[in-house]
Amino acid sequence: MKVKSLTYSIALLLAGAAHADLPGKYDGVTLQAKLIGGQQYEALYSRIADWEAATGAKVEVISKKSHFEIDKEIKSDMAAGTTDWCVGSNHSSFAPQYIGLYQDLVPLLAGADIDAYVPAIIGASKVGGELIMLPRAQFDVSALYYQKSLFEDADNQAKFKEKYGYDLKPAETWAQVSDQAKFFTDPPNFYGTQFAGKDEGLSGRFYEMLIAEGGAMFDEALKPTFNSEAGVRALNWFVDMYESGAVPKGTTSYLWDELGAGFASGNVAINLDWPGWAGYFNDPEASKVANNVGVVVQPKGSAGIRTGWSGHHGFSVTSDCANPEAAASLVWFLTNEDSQKHESAGGSLPTRTAVWEHVINTADSDYRKGVLATFSEAAQHAFPVPSIAEWIEASNVLFPELQAAIVGEKTAQEALDDAAKEIEEVLMDAGYY
Amino acid sequence: MIDTKQKTTLLLLSPAIIVLVMVILGPLIFSLYSSFTPFKLTRPDSINQFIGFRNYVRIFGDEDFWAAFVRTIVVLTIALNLEMLLGLGLALLVNRATMAQKTLRTIMMFPMMFSPILVGFQFRFMFNDNIGVVNNALQSLGITQEAIPWLVDKYLAIFSICVAEIWNSTSVFAILILAGLMSLPKDPLEAAEVDGCTKWQTFRHVTLPYLMPFLYIAMTIRSLDIARAYDIVQIMTGGGPAQRTELLWTMIARTGYVDAKMGMANAMSYVAILLSIFFTVFFFRKLNQARHQLGVGL
Repeated sequence: MKVKSLTYSIALLLAGAAHADLPGKYDGVTLQAKLIGGQQYEALYSRIADWEAATGAKVEVISKKSHFEIDKEIKSDMAAGTTDWCVGSNHSSFAPQYIGLYQDLVPLLAGADIDAYVPAIIGASKVGGELIMLPRAQFDVSALYYQKSLFEDADNQAKFKEKYGYDLKPAETWAQVSDQAKFFTDPPNFYGTQFAGKDEGLSGRFYEMLIAEGGAMFDEALKPTFNSEAGVRALNWFVDMYESGAVPKGTTSYLWDELGAGFASGNVAINLDWPGWAGYFNDPEASKVANNVGVVVQPKGSAGIRTGWSGHHGFSVTSDCANPEAAASLVWFLTNEDSQKHESAGGSLPTRTAVWEHVINTADSDYRKGVLATFSEAAQHAFPVPSIAEWIEASNVLFPELQAAIVGEKTAQEALDDAAKEIEEVLMDAGYY
Repeated sequence: MIDTKQKTTLLLLSPAIIVLVMVILGPLIFSLYSSFTPFKLTRPDSINQFIGFRNYVRIFGDEDFWAAFVRTIVVLTIALNLEMLLGLGLALLVNRATMAQKTLRTIMMFPMMFSPILVGFQFRFMFNDNIGVVNNALQSLGITQEAIPWLVDKYLAIFSICVAEIWNSTSVFAILILAGLMSLPKDPLEAAEVDGCTKWQTFRHVTLPYLMPFLYIAMTIRSLDIARAYDIVQIMTGGGPAQRTELLWTMIARTGYVDAKMGMANAMSYVAILLSIFFTVFFFRKLNQARHQLGVGL
């Protein structure tokens, strides 16, 4: 029995040793891949050549598009049954939609260092208990950017304290953001803040505010519960910002590019935004607020919970892949410690614990160190969207109703009730109840 | 019984018939069939589940769909009429040019050479309320101190989309009307002049009737274009905010590709096609009437 147990242990150790150099040998194998394209994602792909050299396999990138385009293409592939390519870029918000397309990576990565990834992010990479993607160094959670000079100005500090009765400093709560945004606003030349006003951007911002107000999108039976008092409070924050003129009137047509350009133009005081913008905002050639940018961890709602809608990119292996071991090896290689160090050197956030320490220690400026420390703390409060295949469809029902409340066509309660009714129908059609 | 000659004819025609069936009839039948299923792109097996007219029944009770339907007719009516007037004006001006007419004709066609996606981005930037050039110009000229929400306001957003559509496609009208003006016979014009007609009377009773067939052809082409408008609207407003600029095809594309509900999207498409058929039949009837008045055609 002891001999048997010892043999088993040795076998496990050998297996572990084998997985220490997970890439393996795959001479003659060609993996087809569909990858997300775009400047911030490309640097990592130079590592594919290293994996090819190590394994003898080849990677044929058959599609490289923006995530929304890749999403459409993948859905078309699923409908046509042409899913025998092997590796696909994936995103935590989109992953639950691809039912049956990707396979569980755990059996393919047995012994690999899965515990070296941030546990919460590995949790958000699972769908129905299966690990369907490994996260790359493209983690997103928002923190609060602000123009430092506005908060350091003695005149502003005195006037703000006189009007609101407390000190002007970077906001700790969303109620303070509201006060500060109204205080700084001077339309049409200057606005207190801004927010993503359409698509999943608006749904996501509402979702995180809902959580911060103590609410929830769904109950355990997946019935919508966001039309609660907490939901109304959350939506009214956006309504109040819009009605008071503290955000640009066009904000319901803004998405990330407009928001980034708006803050960089110097016309906006406070801006909840993603980590990828930190370098751009502080670049004197691109941004009027360069050397004047502060970042603090995202504020709390009235329930004492911080907002923290998060998402991350990763890679998955299709169920129809002819060489799943080789594909898993590539996916692991592109998300291992060296790859994450390589990718996060471009400014994106890692998803491995050890790489977090590395990027903070090797940051090349105090600004960068501060940004990374802030986002490291922001990540502690991060939470993903509900893991249901219909999230994007539900979001498409929700955001026009949120817009209707923001522009004053409906009250917050009416808009949320209408959205809840329609989303319940969507989930009923999908067979949840 | 099919004789040898008929067999040969069929054989010779068969490649064309096969291509037509594969390229046109096949996809049409498939999409029509899928409109009677709950087909979801991410659940391929759902194509086998026949649900009868359920998608169509839902569409007929869907207020959002009919609001988009009416909005599409409104955009179509505004854009088509303004394009016709501007195109007519442009064509008359270019027709009167005594020099560099070829260069003017080429310049007139520039907007048509831009992809609608590029036009959408261009106008989205121009109409941005915070950093857009339109508000910037209005504020610099002292016309307003407000940041006008061009892409948000219920009426202005539709207006902005119409401006982009009109800028992109007025030259379709202009070029077709110019072709009409260039083929206009001189005799009736000279007869009108001899009879002492004013310039307006000559235009109203001689030139315009000759141009009407060209106008109706342009209207047919553009009504089909606008009834399936997608690119410019999607880029400029995405159908928002609060579905204020939602047109039929932005709604259908989102239902089909983003929500992955292709069965429902196909059902919506078949209802939407009714609009195109109506305008095509309407303008072709008008075209035949105009040709009849001129003494040509039926």
